[in-house]
Amino acid sequence: MSALMARVRAIPSWQLTLFVALLALGFLVAAQLATEAPRVRYTTQERTPLVETAGELLAQQDALKVAVLDLRAQIQEAEGTGTGSAAVVAELNDQLQEARIAAGLIALTGTGIVLQLEDSLEPAAPDANEGDYLVGSLDLRTVIEELWTAGAEAIAINGERITPTSAIIDIGPSVLVNSAYLAPPYQVTALGPPDLYARLSASPGWVDFIIARAQKYGIRVQFAEPESVDIPAFVGTVTLRYARPEATSSPAPLSDPEG
Amino acid sequence: MHRRRNQLTIAAVAFVLGLLVIVQLRAQAGGAAFAGLSSQELTVLVANLNARNDQLRREVATLERELATLVQNEQRGDASIDELRADLRRVRLYAGLDAAVGPGVTITIRGPIDGSGVEALVNELRNAGAEALAIEAIRLVPGVVVSGAPADVSVDGLLLGDPLVIHAIGAPDKLTGSLTRSGGIIAQLAATQPDVLVEVLPIDTVRVPATDRDLVPENGRPRL
Repeated sequence: MSALMARVRAIPSWQLTLFVALLALGFLVAAQLATEAPRVRYTTQERTPLVETAGELLAQQDALKVAVLDLRAQIQEAEGTGTGSAAVVAELNDQLQEARIAAGLIALTGTGIVLQLEDSLEPAAPDANEGDYLVGSLDLRTVIEELWTAGAEAIAINGERITPTSAIIDIGPSVLVNSAYLAPPYQVTALGPPDLYARLSASPGWVDFIIARAQKYGIRVQFAEPESVDIPAFVGTVTLRYARPEATSSPAPLSDPEG
Repeated sequence: MHRRRNQLTIAAVAFVLGLLVIVQLRAQAGGAAFAGLSSQELTVLVANLNARNDQLRREVATLERELATLVQNEQRGDASIDELRADLRRVRLYAGLDAAVGPGVTITIRGPIDGSGVEALVNELRNAGAEALAIEAIRLVPGVVVSGAPADVSVDGLLLGDPLVIHAIGAPDKLTGSLTRSGGIIAQLAATQPDVLVEVLPIDTVRVPATDRDLVPENGRPRL
């Protein structure tokens, strides 16, 4: 042992430095090649501009969302300070606030739970579909349906509020919610009664989901019950282009088959 | 001289090392965005982002007009009752608090479909831009779930018969095209639930009732 130490000491220090540096260099070159490998699969001539375009559009979306929220706040303030027939204005403002809450245009806070869903870490079985090991749109829709059934009153996934017009679809290993791009891990935040989790975990549909996805494929499902949960407002358009209010409020949905 | 060359070697190695560290960090950061999306999927993503951004731009324009009118009225000392009413109608219609009418489609489903099959159809309709939806007389709003085994499907506690009808307001050609395209939701249903027959009928006037649910949460309050 002491002979070895003596030999090591005999090596000039610059050689040791160089040795360490080269070792690090080799490691980095290997790491670089390793990260290149999976991306090469998709590196075609058209991919790079598409990634750039998508990135720019996402940045625009963020800016537009800020603009919408800012304008909504200004409008709410202007509507609140309206003069004139004060009673009518106050009444209309109350109704507006209630309608906005119903439409998901107001951020909420209250009791609730947060579920986190992540892709499986288990290696795919040789004859299995690799997609079964990823959290997909169907998983998220199932979780949301179970939460509604358990009594949830408002839900958001990674900051996207679920509204009457929300679709959840797959896009590669990620999803689109309200046409916004979301990547795992998915945090599903649900506002509801204090016993929401107890109700959820007692639901046969939820138990089926855990067996079919978590136990069979290793989809990771975690749960948290913070003191309060925050649900963001829906930041999108509520102006409908095809639907208009019905003149008379008849209760039945009598679609006219004659067109 | 010998010493100087050693220093130069080390300097060169350190330079390359630093360069590689930066490249590696950049690759890690940049690769995370849209990793695993093929060119085709990226094209779909770009189309979706464009659609959402256009919507947001329209919303910004609408809100700017609304704000301008409100400010003008306030300066004149007028109450903005008409604007408040218009805003209220717009939001109530979107939320499902008022009955809606407009062009769209009716979808008639015959055979033993299950709850998740109906939910998948509804999700596809929303993805194609459906603005207001109802199954029979139940307006589809957050909280309403279609569930149940084949031929035992209920919506919001109401057991549905056979055939069951979905009413959707939106662009009729877009809604029809999205459902019936090859490899689309109806083709998928035909493969997994072959006894189920789905018929899509574009029509000029679809009526969708208001929800009878209370949509104001009991367990939440506005976050200031």
